[in-house]
Amino acid sequence: MNNIAINAENLTKTYSRGIEQIHAVNGVSLAIRAGEFVSVVGPSGSGKTTLINILGCLDNPTSGRLTIDGRGIFGDGRSFSERQLTRIRRELFGYIFQKFYLIPTLTVAENVMLPFTFYRKDGAENNVSRLLDLLGIEKRKNHLPGQLSGGEMQRTAIARALVNDPRILLADEPTGNLDTARSKEIGQVLKELNEQQGITIILVTHNPALAQTAHRTITLHDGNIKV
Amino acid sequence: MINIYKVSFKNLLRKRTRTVLTIFGIALSAWVLASLLGFNKGYEASLSRDIDNMGFQVLLTAKGCPYEAATLMLKGGTGMRYMSEDVVRQVAAEPEVDGVTPMLMQAIFDPNKGESGGIAAYLGVDPVTFPRMKSFLEFRQGRWFTDPDAMEAVLGYEAAELEQREAGDILLIPEKDIELKVVGVLKRTGTQDDGTIFMPIRTVQTLFNKPGELTGLGIKVRQDADIVAFEEKLYGLPDVQVVSLAQVKQTIMNLVTTARIMVFSIAVIAVLIAMVGVINTILMSVFERYQEIGILKSIGAMPWDIFKLIWIETFILCFLGGLVGTAITFGLSKLTEVLIRNLLPYAPTGSLIQLDARLVIMTLFSIMLIGVISGMYPAWKAARIRPLDAIRSEVA
Amino acid sequence: MKTIRILIACLTLLAFAHPSAHAAVGCDLNDPDRDVARLFPGSTGYKTMYVSIDKKGGDALARQIENRLGDKFQGIFETADVPYTIYEIYKNTDKIGYIHGVNQKGRHGGIQVFLVLDMDGVIRSFYFQKLTSRAAGALRDPGFGKQFEGLTLADFYNYDVASKKTLPPGRVDAIKNPSPDAADDFYASLRATKKNLILMDEFMYGNKYMKYFKGDAP
Repeated sequence: MNNIAINAENLTKTYSRGIEQIHAVNGVSLAIRAGEFVSVVGPSGSGKTTLINILGCLDNPTSGRLTIDGRGIFGDGRSFSERQLTRIRRELFGYIFQKFYLIPTLTVAENVMLPFTFYRKDGAENNVSRLLDLLGIEKRKNHLPGQLSGGEMQRTAIARALVNDPRILLADEPTGNLDTARSKEIGQVLKELNEQQGITIILVTHNPALAQTAHRTITLHDGNIKV
Repeated sequence: MINIYKVSFKNLLRKRTRTVLTIFGIALSAWVLASLLGFNKGYEASLSRDIDNMGFQVLLTAKGCPYEAATLMLKGGTGMRYMSEDVVRQVAAEPEVDGVTPMLMQAIFDPNKGESGGIAAYLGVDPVTFPRMKSFLEFRQGRWFTDPDAMEAVLGYEAAELEQREAGDILLIPEKDIELKVVGVLKRTGTQDDGTIFMPIRTVQTLFNKPGELTGLGIKVRQDADIVAFEEKLYGLPDVQVVSLAQVKQTIMNLVTTARIMVFSIAVIAVLIAMVGVINTILMSVFERYQEIGILKSIGAMPWDIFKLIWIETFILCFLGGLVGTAITFGLSKLTEVLIRNLLPYAPTGSLIQLDARLVIMTLFSIMLIGVISGMYPAWKAARIRPLDAIRSEVA
Repeated sequence: MKTIRILIACLTLLAFAHPSAHAAVGCDLNDPDRDVARLFPGSTGYKTMYVSIDKKGGDALARQIENRLGDKFQGIFETADVPYTIYEIYKNTDKIGYIHGVNQKGRHGGIQVFLVLDMDGVIRSFYFQKLTSRAAGALRDPGFGKQFEGLTLADFYNYDVASKKTLPPGRVDAIKNPSPDAADDFYASLRATKKNLILMDEFMYGNKYMKYFKGDAP
């Protein structure tokens, strides 16, 4: 049980659409070990985003349990408010998305430091220069996002996601807005982060080549894991 | 390092034109507000000073519609109404009276005045009582006349300047072709006395053939007397009209108060419009940043953090708008004063708009207060955005 | 109704308020559009300039002007800060002359003497805009003003304001007082003319008539 970062049991997420019940996630169970790099693939509508939202504590499941780092989160009928979820999230997770969501009037360094405006773990300020270096954007730290390439922008977003020492990095289609070359670049960055820094990564992607960079792949289909 | 104020401020820089226009809108309403507050103060102060400078609190004039007297005097000096000198004795006897001073105003057509001539007016006053009642009048040159029958004149500064007369010079009364000796030139007072030619009242009565007649009687009331009761008594006198300058001041102030309330309402509306503009601007930018705000929450922002972020943006806009507006008020105060002078039927001399630190602070405070209140709605809306909604709207 | 009457009574009292001008009073044409056309036939337009001795050379210049005039500035109104209005007269784009007026103290009231000058400083015509005087009729007669036409500051530098004589005799002698009653105002208008020309020489003609000044240091 030690070393298991995420343990999900029978997670379900159901929506009502009129009289229909849609099971976006249908009884999914999985375990991800600390330091693993897992990719989640599947066709559109397979529920992978919904699943990753639950795993990432962005949403409450309809039923099922979720334990992260040995700590019980969802389960036993518990449901969390937005405020509570935020508190859980900022301790544990960093997120990157298809759109970079950088603030255009802040420099790269300032964007990376943006989480500190709201919450800062002890000693996290030391991460800034280290991450800028690690992600190869040290030289661009005083530039504005408008002056960066797509790859550089995503790398800034990654640095921002990691600045508060999260346990787990969730990446939802991070290369969706990038061309092939840049996509490869990001894939490489994630791989190195995982191998060298030991960061646990869950990656949702359409891109099969990108999915390959992970240790293992989970395939979803209609809310279920396809075995 | 980074802090929430820096982020808020830089967020405003994302749409520069919009930010500038919003600030300008607030500045304009701040200008209206500050000018109004300044005008209030200035107008009342000037008015009080003008009226206090008259020296007496109650004025008796001959009965008859003053309207008539005013226009006829302005047109040529005939058709005036007069009071008998007896009234002086009657009134002086009243216990409330501290002092009285009789006056006789006469006018003459001067072909040399202005384009095709104009009227020259002469105010006959009593050499003993008038200077006493108007003791604050100071001389640039010379002194008051002392002999009640003297062919002498004292000129207000501007009356003197117009004719280049100094103490010792001769003044000609046109039409009558009579020479007077100028014995004194007053210093500027900023009141209508500046344009007046004073002469001994008996001289005026003689020259214009109006023996024993007055056009006005200035009354100084004792400090402790009941002015209202006293005026009631005066109403009983035949053939006279009582003009209470205290009442005039009150009347004008009432009119001004009405006008002030009206303008105040307009200022409030202007401020509200600007505020609506602010709410609209911020709300629009919140909607534009819908996804981004959701993502900020994924970065660790609590609802209160987002609330603060947006609220500070509103606050910055209002603060800058208030500052710019106050600066405009100071810079354009002369222009604003010209505007107001042209609009008002009666404007006292002296500065109409008085600006000072207290006024600046009050204006800024009002603008910021309204900003703080109106910022709440957009901030609240923003705080409620869920990261989930932001992400969901991402998935095609 | 009572309210209105009270208000109007108050306005009556204040009806004679003059607009406050907190600087010394200058000398403008009453209706420049009409007066320029009348005084300078053939002109198509004008520009207005304001100058004062104060701004141009301060007290030092004031003393020099007094010296050239041959008389001290009088009283409380003839000061260095008095604004002078100079009308530059144009025919299309060419400047063809000037109109300038000065205030002068007369026996019974103020006198305003306007001179219409050509580009060389020669008087084209003489005009009393204001004249409070018993002898106003005689002085305002066109014949009187005609006597000034063609004269310049060269002629007037010969005229001594204090002694009221021309030395050496010159064209100013030819200007006659129209009536014994008018003596004071007659000499006042000569002084005003001399002062007018000196100021114009200083402000507009670059002191080209200075060579005719016979006193010590100008």
